[in-house]
Amino acid sequence: MVINARRDQMERLLAYLISLAAILLTLFPIVWLLSVSLKTQRDAFAMPPKLIFEPIADHFLGLLERPGFVEAFMNSVHVTALGVIFAIAIAVFAAYGIHRFNFRGKKLFGVWLLLAYMLPEFLFIIPMYVLYQRIGWYDTHIGLALVYQVHSLPFAVWLIRSFFKEVPAELDDAARIDGCGHLKTLRHVYIPLAAPGISATAILTAIWIWNELTIALSLTFSDAQTITVAVASFRGYTSINWGQMSAASIVAIAPMLVFAVFAQKYIVKGLTLGSLKG
Amino acid sequence: MPSPHSNRVAYWVIAPAVFVLALTSLYPALASLALSFFNWNWGVQFDFVGLRNYLDLFRSAEFWQVLVQTFLFAVCATALELVLGIALAVVVDRLKFGAGIIRTLLLTPLMVSGIIVALMSKIVLDPMLGIVNYVLISLGFPPSPFFGTTATAMGTVIMVDAWWQTAFVFIIVLAGLQSLPIEPIEAARVDGANSVNTFFRVKLPMLRPVLFTILIFRTIDTLKVFDIIFGTTGGGPQIATEVMQTLAYRKAFSFLKMSEAMTVMVIFSLIVLAISLIYLRLEERMDEHGY
Repeated sequence: MVINARRDQMERLLAYLISLAAILLTLFPIVWLLSVSLKTQRDAFAMPPKLIFEPIADHFLGLLERPGFVEAFMNSVHVTALGVIFAIAIAVFAAYGIHRFNFRGKKLFGVWLLLAYMLPEFLFIIPMYVLYQRIGWYDTHIGLALVYQVHSLPFAVWLIRSFFKEVPAELDDAARIDGCGHLKTLRHVYIPLAAPGISATAILTAIWIWNELTIALSLTFSDAQTITVAVASFRGYTSINWGQMSAASIVAIAPMLVFAVFAQKYIVKGLTLGSLKG
Repeated sequence: MPSPHSNRVAYWVIAPAVFVLALTSLYPALASLALSFFNWNWGVQFDFVGLRNYLDLFRSAEFWQVLVQTFLFAVCATALELVLGIALAVVVDRLKFGAGIIRTLLLTPLMVSGIIVALMSKIVLDPMLGIVNYVLISLGFPPSPFFGTTATAMGTVIMVDAWWQTAFVFIIVLAGLQSLPIEPIEAARVDGANSVNTFFRVKLPMLRPVLFTILIFRTIDTLKVFDIIFGTTGGGPQIATEVMQTLAYRKAFSFLKMSEAMTVMVIFSLIVLAISLIYLRLEERMDEHGY
């Protein structure tokens, strides 16, 4: 037993060392990016790298002057809000439908959700680009938020449904005996009891939309250009403008990192429940 | 509990989802399929050409190279992420103090957009000015050109994807490990199994359904890779890191060869579809066997 305890201690020490190394490897690029965003070009390119330097705010201030950057940030806020509202509002009903009823075509609907989620973006984007050019929805917030549903809606339906499964059946029965219709049952039983799960779904959907590039790149140009597209526009100029590129990246990451700190519990819950019980 | 008599209500509540999905997935998928039989290049020319786009594509060496590269990327990135993610989960599962904060810190990459991961990796992996090469040289290793040569670019983008998505595997495996029943693990320990044996003989088999789900999600997701490659190599050098989605993007938006782009996507979608359906079948079979 003594040997066992020794071995346990050694293993735990090793576990801490490996975790520490993993954390360093995980955080290093982000910290480095932050340092480049605060360095003069000369400091950023210095060899050996300057670990101690005088931080400057020029790159961040420069972003304010960069045409379209602030607008892109606000566009992302709008599109994310709109996309999350669409996804959750529609998915709560669809999840209730799948959870509560057996209907013809239920299995087909499930397969459709999975395929919409899994098929490659460009299969959908190119015809949507053509359609949007025709009907004037190209480069609009609503057009973009709508196309995001091809990914967000299946995700939200699937996740909210797995949270609905956790609601005790007795409560549903009780509501029905009390004479509640479906809308009332949904409103007074399922939504309140699954509220943490629905919040988790909303948060994960928001993160996904905020970070999405592929669809935004193809369906927006200027009026609805999102933050990721604005950041991507630094691609190619990297050799000359590392500072501003890093500053733009930090601005784009910051809201999500703040989110992660405050909503960590929900994020983990959403990510894990989805795949453990899906 | 489901009541088979209220079909009508069921259709009403799923109707909005069906409508939105019809517009955003069914319509464009059918449109892509239809347009792949034409020779439309965003101009007036619009003739039915039957299977010519498909035959042209099958005859082009570029298409096959890109297809192979897409799978190479997906298989290597998924394998790397699974191994690293499982290893990390096992390690963090052993921790007593600080496990919560360590888990939070390890999750950060999932909060970062792919395009930012790409630009960030361009900065740290710059062949001349990047910090990574500086560290390599300082430690006596040869520097690497990373994204710069056809020989190293693919390995580099795979590594970048692993930095980004290992956390996804990690968090789900960790939750899986923590939800395992304690009795079989205790029993194995009492029988004198060390933690390595316990992991491979007891825990890993119990995690099989979870691992299977992760495997499929990572496979599909890596097959569809776009931003990591778009933001770093743009498919280059030459076409050494071009994958299906960047190929479609280039064809559609750089060359306005709409029909060709859609043909690429129809073929690729059929491949992804096949993999998804195999997954559904396998999962059903696993359910039947009571895993």
